[in-house]
Amino acid sequence: MATVSALAATFALGGCGGGAGSEGSGDDTITIGVSLPLTGDFAEPGKGVERGYKAWAKIVNDKGGLLGRKVELKILDDQSNADRVVSDYEQLIGKDEVDLVFGPFSTRLVVPSARVAEEYGMLFVEPAGAAPEVFEQGFKNLFYAAPAVANDHYNHLAEYILALPADQRPKSVAYSAMDDPFAQGTAYGLKDKLEAAGIKTAVDEVYPPNTTDFGPIAAKIADSKADMVVGGSQYQDGVNLIVALQQLNYQPKIAAFSTAPTSPEFAEAIGNKTEGVLAPTGYTQKADYPSNKEFVEKYTEQFGKAPEEDEANAYTTGQVVAAAVEAAKCASQDEECQAKLIEFLRGNEVETVVGPLKWDDKGRPQSAHMIQQWVDGEIQIVLPEEQKEADFVFPKPKW
Amino acid sequence: MPSAGLVFQSVLLGLLLGGLYALLAAGLTLYFGIMRVVMIAHSAFLILAAYLAWWAHRETGVDPLLTLVVTVPLFFLAGVALQRLLLSRLSPVTLTMMSVLLTFAIALVIEGLLGYAFSGTQRRIRLGYSSTSLELFGARIAVVKLIGFALAALSLLGLYLLLKHSRFGQALRATIQHREAARLLGIDTDRVAGYGFGLGLATAAVGGTALSLDSTIYPSLHWHWIGPLMAIIVVGGLGSVPGAAIAAMTLGMMQSLLQIELAATWAQTIFYLALFGTLAFRPQGFFGGRLAQRF
Repeated sequence: MATVSALAATFALGGCGGGAGSEGSGDDTITIGVSLPLTGDFAEPGKGVERGYKAWAKIVNDKGGLLGRKVELKILDDQSNADRVVSDYEQLIGKDEVDLVFGPFSTRLVVPSARVAEEYGMLFVEPAGAAPEVFEQGFKNLFYAAPAVANDHYNHLAEYILALPADQRPKSVAYSAMDDPFAQGTAYGLKDKLEAAGIKTAVDEVYPPNTTDFGPIAAKIADSKADMVVGGSQYQDGVNLIVALQQLNYQPKIAAFSTAPTSPEFAEAIGNKTEGVLAPTGYTQKADYPSNKEFVEKYTEQFGKAPEEDEANAYTTGQVVAAAVEAAKCASQDEECQAKLIEFLRGNEVETVVGPLKWDDKGRPQSAHMIQQWVDGEIQIVLPEEQKEADFVFPKPKW
Repeated sequence: MPSAGLVFQSVLLGLLLGGLYALLAAGLTLYFGIMRVVMIAHSAFLILAAYLAWWAHRETGVDPLLTLVVTVPLFFLAGVALQRLLLSRLSPVTLTMMSVLLTFAIALVIEGLLGYAFSGTQRRIRLGYSSTSLELFGARIAVVKLIGFALAALSLLGLYLLLKHSRFGQALRATIQHREAARLLGIDTDRVAGYGFGLGLATAAVGGTALSLDSTIYPSLHWHWIGPLMAIIVVGGLGSVPGAAIAAMTLGMMQSLLQIELAATWAQTIFYLALFGTLAFRPQGFFGGRLAQRF
């Protein structure tokens, strides 16, 4: 027995020595490099991701670490700047010689940083690059740690609509999306599916991220009298569009908006006229996956409030990398080790707080988002059937 | 072809938007008329007023319109102080160019302080009547937009009456037309210029409050406004208040109508097209142009 562990120790030492030499990564710690937008445009979600990563590191370390080594996060601030994020990852990998990297927030930062990681042959699991272009770059090292890419967010809703009897189905739909890869991805994913089934597109509007006057767009949507409105929105733009639509007394049968309706401030922001509004979501604190209970409980203990989607996706990133590390039994910049980590994720399913995840050859996760709806003054899961908390309200009551 | 209903609705929206543009451009053109000052910080003060309205509403729950009681006198005084303490010290030879730099710096300071105090998060006042609207021949007019328009119209009317029918207005117009001559007639042009500047800034207080009723605000929003406003005062003829108001209504309406066929980004280019067109074919602007020509 003693011989075996001695041998194992020698092997581990040898493995490390063979890696790209390492001052920051002694035998007893695994250093993980991250660059996050802690200031600038994406500061709010960036800080959420940071909390998720920190919660993950704490929970792992409280249990004795990964492969018996303590996990240490090295987090830099990229100021939401795409040039900065590149130099940050260059520094983390090249100079600081971290053992592993986690991804930053948002498509615009994920693409350039994934390229850096690929140049160094490193595994790149990321919590927030869901837009189609992330997966069209030919990355072989990238995995998105969430249930579905942007274009698949509304899949359950599309199935529901297409299963309606022909005379009840919406006949025309108005789409309005922010000029942002993620926001557009969500709306256009649904648009493609509904158009393929012969449902007419009445309005298709794209607006710049800083738009504050939604009157003209709302006027077009209201004039089209579309049965359904879909907003590819973040937060404030979704709120503004809804208020502008209410001002024009437009009453659709289905109203779906990405992201905005799941925000805690949403109801107050639109004057509590929320009944029936839909939104896709990749995470709920109530999900009964075993690791989620632990996550919600310990996260709440650490930060004093329950985790939201950004925090959960960051935590999921940690879980995915940890699963690969445990399976490959290594965590270093060593080419062979990183190749093993990538290979493991390519072929295996990982249990996470957002459910079991597996990926296609481009790194797209293969699950779907749940659909939530405001029912009785509360946002509740209505699709898919097996996870629902309330019945789907159709047609939507007036707002 | 867009339906008649949509065109009518867009005309209404354009009218409401144009009213706000008119008020804001009036202030901007006034500064130029009085002092040949290009006031880049005008829209930053506009956003500042909107933030003050939002903040007062959040802290105390008062209707944002009530903040006018405080912000209008406050901005008037700030305008007088700005003119007397900073702008009047610039050398007359390079005044126009230096005023761009100076007011640019003021705009950055306001933007930075707003960001520091309230963060970059987008804000919006939540009012009980945010989504209430009136019906007019099948089209809808949002109450908040109507209030904003009424504020702008009243202020413009007040400004017009003040300029046309008061002794101060005469003195101000005389200062605008010919500073030296006005001084020879015994007008204290420095004092008049200070008050004129205060008046311009007071319009920003009214405009900002009107804006805050129905728009999201964030610290860097003023860059979004200054371009169209500058274009408006050039098209209207620098220094001409009625010219600015007419150009504002026309361009606001055109923007709204163009947005029926074009996306939001492209509709906005109408301001710059109008600016290029004016500079190329009628550089003095379309109204009250003598001043700009001389300049």
